[in-house]
Amino acid sequence: MVSTQIPKPRFSWDRVIQWSMVILTIALVVFPAWPIVYQSFMSKPLYDKERAFTLGNYTNILSDGKFWHILGYTAAFAVATMILALIFGVFLAVLINRTNIPLRKFYSSLVTIPYYVSPLVLAFAWMEMYGPQGFGTILIRTLKLPTWQLYSFWGIVVVATMYYIPNTFLYATSSLALMDPQLESAARIGGATPFRTIWNITIPLLRPAILYSALLTLVSALELLSIPLVLGNGVGIDTLSTYIYVLGVVGVSKDYGAIAVVAIFVVLLVTVLVYLQGKLTALERRFVTVGGKATRPKLLELGKLKYIVSTIVGLYILLGIILPLACIVLESFVPFLSPFANPFKMLTLENYQGIFSSPAYRQSVTNSIYISIFAGGVGILFMALAALTAYRSTFKGRGVVKYMALYPRAFPGIIVGIGFLWAFLLIPGVGSLRNTLIAMSIAFIMRYLPLGFSAVSPAVMQISDELDRAGRVAGATWLGTIRHILLPILRPALLSGYIILAISFLKEYAVALFLFSEGSRVIGTTMLELWKQGGAEPVAALSTIQMIITAFLIFGSAKLLGVKLHE
Amino acid sequence: MNNDLIIEGLTKKFVTANSVAISNINLTVKEGSLTTLLGPSGCGKSTTLNCVAGLEEPTTGKISVGDFVMTDISKGLLLPPEQRQLGMVFQSYALWPHMKVFDNVAFSLKLQKVRGDELKKRVMDSLDLVGLADLSDRYPFQLSGGQQQRVALARAVVTRPRLLLLDEPLSNLDAKIREQARVWVRELQQRVGITTIYVTHDQSEAFAMSDMIAVINKGILLQFAPPEELYSHPATQFVAEFIGATSFLKGVVASMDGNRLEVRVTNGDLLKLTDHSGKSWSVNQNVAIAIRSERVEMAGSKSDNILNAGVTNSTYLGSKWQHTVDTGSGTLKVETTDAATSDRMSLYLPPDSILLFPEEK
Repeated sequence: MVSTQIPKPRFSWDRVIQWSMVILTIALVVFPAWPIVYQSFMSKPLYDKERAFTLGNYTNILSDGKFWHILGYTAAFAVATMILALIFGVFLAVLINRTNIPLRKFYSSLVTIPYYVSPLVLAFAWMEMYGPQGFGTILIRTLKLPTWQLYSFWGIVVVATMYYIPNTFLYATSSLALMDPQLESAARIGGATPFRTIWNITIPLLRPAILYSALLTLVSALELLSIPLVLGNGVGIDTLSTYIYVLGVVGVSKDYGAIAVVAIFVVLLVTVLVYLQGKLTALERRFVTVGGKATRPKLLELGKLKYIVSTIVGLYILLGIILPLACIVLESFVPFLSPFANPFKMLTLENYQGIFSSPAYRQSVTNSIYISIFAGGVGILFMALAALTAYRSTFKGRGVVKYMALYPRAFPGIIVGIGFLWAFLLIPGVGSLRNTLIAMSIAFIMRYLPLGFSAVSPAVMQISDELDRAGRVAGATWLGTIRHILLPILRPALLSGYIILAISFLKEYAVALFLFSEGSRVIGTTMLELWKQGGAEPVAALSTIQMIITAFLIFGSAKLLGVKLHE
Repeated sequence: MNNDLIIEGLTKKFVTANSVAISNINLTVKEGSLTTLLGPSGCGKSTTLNCVAGLEEPTTGKISVGDFVMTDISKGLLLPPEQRQLGMVFQSYALWPHMKVFDNVAFSLKLQKVRGDELKKRVMDSLDLVGLADLSDRYPFQLSGGQQQRVALARAVVTRPRLLLLDEPLSNLDAKIREQARVWVRELQQRVGITTIYVTHDQSEAFAMSDMIAVINKGILLQFAPPEELYSHPATQFVAEFIGATSFLKGVVASMDGNRLEVRVTNGDLLKLTDHSGKSWSVNQNVAIAIRSERVEMAGSKSDNILNAGVTNSTYLGSKWQHTVDTGSGTLKVETTDAATSDRMSLYLPPDSILLFPEEK
């Protein structure tokens, strides 16, 4: 008798990987989120045995006039920053990419500098240059010219705008590069002057990019800690983030319940905005156009005006970006910086020696480098696997991964830090990790999961799925296809994603503020510690170190690995 | 005063590649006629069109419509595109996605300060012309490819421009719609009576639509003639090859008597032919003869101009069979209505159907 054998599929690691992506992306959100929710209903701190259920935290905060005042102030700050960053970002993108102003190529790279600099560094730089005791302010004052007050609502808005302009600029620039040139040619043929073409065709076509970067800026400004803290703290200006920071880190009596409630409030607010952003982006689909092969129309001729416009753009870059950063670099090499004493006559390495001779400060630099390089590497691989599970598998849970990988966007850095801190305190068995770089790395990866995921996803979706189908038919498992076919093709995208993550990890300070302890300091937390002690020069030295490492990452990766961060 | 489009000595050199995109193009497009620029991709036909549109800057040359001079490089004159009063349909249609169909068509009229009822009437008239008046409220993304193409055409003619420029406007359409579109684009052009330049790489499209065809290759205008003349008397070997299934055999001129020549092909067969090209020939000159597959006949009882050939390949095309045959002097393509009965064929090449070209290196 012939026995028919029904073949059984062999065990494969595919499902294991796919399941772990689902579990990890969920865990990374739930792990820091639940202690905050739990705490918000507790009368005493989480670790206190006498804690009991209460709604008091909510009623206290919601009936607190100060909270509502801060909420209004934060909203006003975020909206003003968003509008200004949008106007200038789009304006610069159009000027640099579509007109014939001199030095446009050169400007194009300089304009993006704030994108790579920590907002903390930018805040310090502006403070040193344009603050009440700033180099530039004093100079202007001695010339008997009117000065300004940087430590004010508009001062904070201006610096935050400087920080967010590159965001809009980059989105608008890549949108301009992708735009079908025939759309602009058609307007010219139809009788429109170059100006009118830009106004009626080019800028309206930027609407999806404008909308997207507007909401991104709004969300990011709402949770921005550094600039309001550095510039507003001394004059009693508070935003939601600085409020949480003061409640939890600086405050005499730490009100955990209040922190939790404010944190939940911020997360909900941001969740709504992120949801809106998704909806609006979907609505804007009709702007997707088929590109033709045509040559781009000539740049808009500005005539004599081009020299004036170029000078204005140059002044913006010089005064807004170059001088403040140069000021902070110079300050790191002198005992004190003042327009009344020639700084070049008192150059010294004292500030750097101070930092490197203190084990704690030195460690904060090495810690930042470790996290940047190792956690960045682990992070990008994890994010790539998550993206491949989400977009390149038939796994049922892929929808969950797609959603959960982007959800951490709703968590401001400072709240991520609080959540992880409390979770490590609360969960038995993991407490020993709390003070280590591992805990810090996990929190950093969670915070930047959406960034890495959305950096890799478009590259994944661009690869024809026939390539991996061919791999499967040829006998490779899902994992084998990824290893041998998809990852090699994705190499350039992974490398640039890695560099973006590494730079972000290097810049990050908000996540670490609550989470750090002896041994897990990073550059950002040390800068804030030193700033609170009044050491402007050591802060300048740390800022300079951070910028040098960032520059090394950008140029090193471009030279050695051919990484292009922006098209 | 007639309003012919005159292109004189149009040349464009690429600054970087040190090569020539188009070289000394001279064309006259009669008012109200349709001229097609035909050639393979990268031949310079789109560059020529873009120079007329003002979207690209020629190195030298003059372009004018009647006494309206748009480009005259020697006098430093180069009008920007918006001052040329043209209409253009792009390959991607280039409908502005943020404007409704109505606003797309109305855009240039608004720039001309046409307002109110006049604006509405002219836009709707133009949309009527392409049969899309009832879709004026839609966005471009809500239309099919064929409808988008018609909106693009309505937009191009709404201002009654001096010239209509069409840059491969049918290449993004499905094969079936493309054939219909050909007919109605031509009808619309004749109804409006607008001087038109049409760019395509599709020779059947060019034949179906044009009053005149300009064949361009490697930036050089090879022939400018009405479709029938182009087909029957191609000026060069390239033109003959590009516009139809043509086979070439090499040979030497054996004798001459006015425009009646005898050419000896490589295996020694002698072919008589009548030359209409007007070129001068000499005995012993190396030449290429060309014949289209549909002109080759079965020999039957004829005794002159016969080639004996072996069939190397037969393909069934539905309405006919196409055979590739080896004559010993080169390969010919031949068409028959029935399948080949043997693997040898005796072929007759009518003297009036044989084209003669100087040998190309």
